[in-house]
Amino acid sequence: MPSAVELVQSLVNGVGIGLIYGLVAIGFCVIYNASGIVNFAQGVFVMLGGMFAHTLLTQFGLPIYVSAVLSTILVAGIGVLVQIAIINPMWRRKAPLFAIILATLAIQLLIEQVVILTLGDQPRTYPEFTSGGPLKIGPIAIGYQLFWVLGCGALMVFALTQFFNRTRMGRALRACSQNREAAALLGIPVERMLIVSFALSAALGAAAGILITPTQYTAYSVGGPFGINGFIAAIIGGFGSAPAALVGGIFLGVIQSGAIVFFGAGFKNIVALTVLLIVLLFFPSGLFAGRAKSA
Amino acid sequence: MTAMADITPLITVRDLTARYGHIEALRSTALHVAPGEFVTILGPNGAGKTTLLRAITRLIASTGQIVFNGRDVTHLRTHELAGLGIIMVQEGRGLFGDMSVRENLQLGAYKLSGPQAHSERQLEKVFSLFPRLRERIDQTASSMSGGEQQMLAVGRALMADPKLLILDEPSLGLAPRVASEILSTLGALNKEGLGILLVEQKAPLALKLAQRVYILASGSVRAELPTQEIESHHDLARYYFT
Repeated sequence: MPSAVELVQSLVNGVGIGLIYGLVAIGFCVIYNASGIVNFAQGVFVMLGGMFAHTLLTQFGLPIYVSAVLSTILVAGIGVLVQIAIINPMWRRKAPLFAIILATLAIQLLIEQVVILTLGDQPRTYPEFTSGGPLKIGPIAIGYQLFWVLGCGALMVFALTQFFNRTRMGRALRACSQNREAAALLGIPVERMLIVSFALSAALGAAAGILITPTQYTAYSVGGPFGINGFIAAIIGGFGSAPAALVGGIFLGVIQSGAIVFFGAGFKNIVALTVLLIVLLFFPSGLFAGRAKSA
Repeated sequence: MTAMADITPLITVRDLTARYGHIEALRSTALHVAPGEFVTILGPNGAGKTTLLRAITRLIASTGQIVFNGRDVTHLRTHELAGLGIIMVQEGRGLFGDMSVRENLQLGAYKLSGPQAHSERQLEKVFSLFPRLRERIDQTASSMSGGEQQMLAVGRALMADPKLLILDEPSLGLAPRVASEILSTLGALNKEGLGILLVEQKAPLALKLAQRVYILASGSVRAELPTQEIESHHDLARYYFT
């Protein structure tokens, strides 16, 4: 049986990784709600965020904050490119949704291969944003990076909520999520809204990757696991609002972290998936289904 | 031909054909609406009325030509047509149910450019037509009654300051008194100069308001006549006025 300290430490770690899953989940929700598309390339944006930040930091010698902002913009640009070059033409040709979803999976694999060829297959990391630490509260150690994850995560959720509720474009995106035909009939350019949703979603994924890389590592292959966990978090959150997706992520992160403490690292995903199945059994539409959609 | 036909039409539809798979739902259909005219489309279920409206607003692919205000708009997309002033209220209302009345109305004014005052004016106009919307301003659209939802759907369309308002069965599922109230409001808007193209099952009331009628059957226009002439066609009069 793990000690209380181990449990609290595990909770802290779970919240940290869960916030990252939550950001990836919000990315899934933004695109899904605007278009009905589940973007399986979401995880690759996480990987690219970390890879670009590392490259800008180490190859170009830019400060971490500049690298982070530039990486986010670059990945958002890649999101836009993916939407314009692949998703939109399929959308216009009225391709079935499953074909578009398959295309996003292909995009994930394609980008991974390009990253191997251009940046290599070796894992990499960079220092935490704030040096020193960890913060010691009794026997509990909290790395400073967790505060960055917490702060940035909260800020992004707040900014997204404001964006969706208070801006013309945000409301238009919500309108697309509820009734695309009605939105178009009011003059809302639905395809342009899809581009915005991909840009937002990619930027969120990149931010998640940039924030988590110092505490773990990044490599061409990390997109898959982050994508899957983000997808699970989005399902738990009910594919609804940004806060619901974030809570879904934290829930998953804490479960995984607890599983490691109780059963060992090998059981992390077994326990997480079992919990997912149990959640779906009792809440088939997620824990927060029926709440207003705003992401 | 009517006197309205001598005026440059607000919208002219020529040879419009639309398919659902192998089924031709609309065959070489033609119609026009003059500026400030109220036109009603009648026809039995499955006649292609909704398909015609969806083809005009480019919600479905079609062949043929659509000219709006003298400009060929055949290849424009739905949102671009809305930008020109062709606004449709769909059957089933198409409201954003999770959003408030205020947000729905704000989205109605999405394409309005220029000063904020323009959309404020439109909002006051909508409130003067449907005072109940002002009372429900912070309520979600899905929580309102059917009649209030239809008022919101029409009000939201009016927020866009349309030149041509297209409505697909706005009285569907409403109590007769509420339906009459909404259709009367449309009549008042038409008197102010708004062009209206209406598909409506409650024919007697719609025919009181309309200046001209198209009869659609099996995907094509079977007759076009001024409303007052319907009464002289005994078979049509019996079918649509009773």
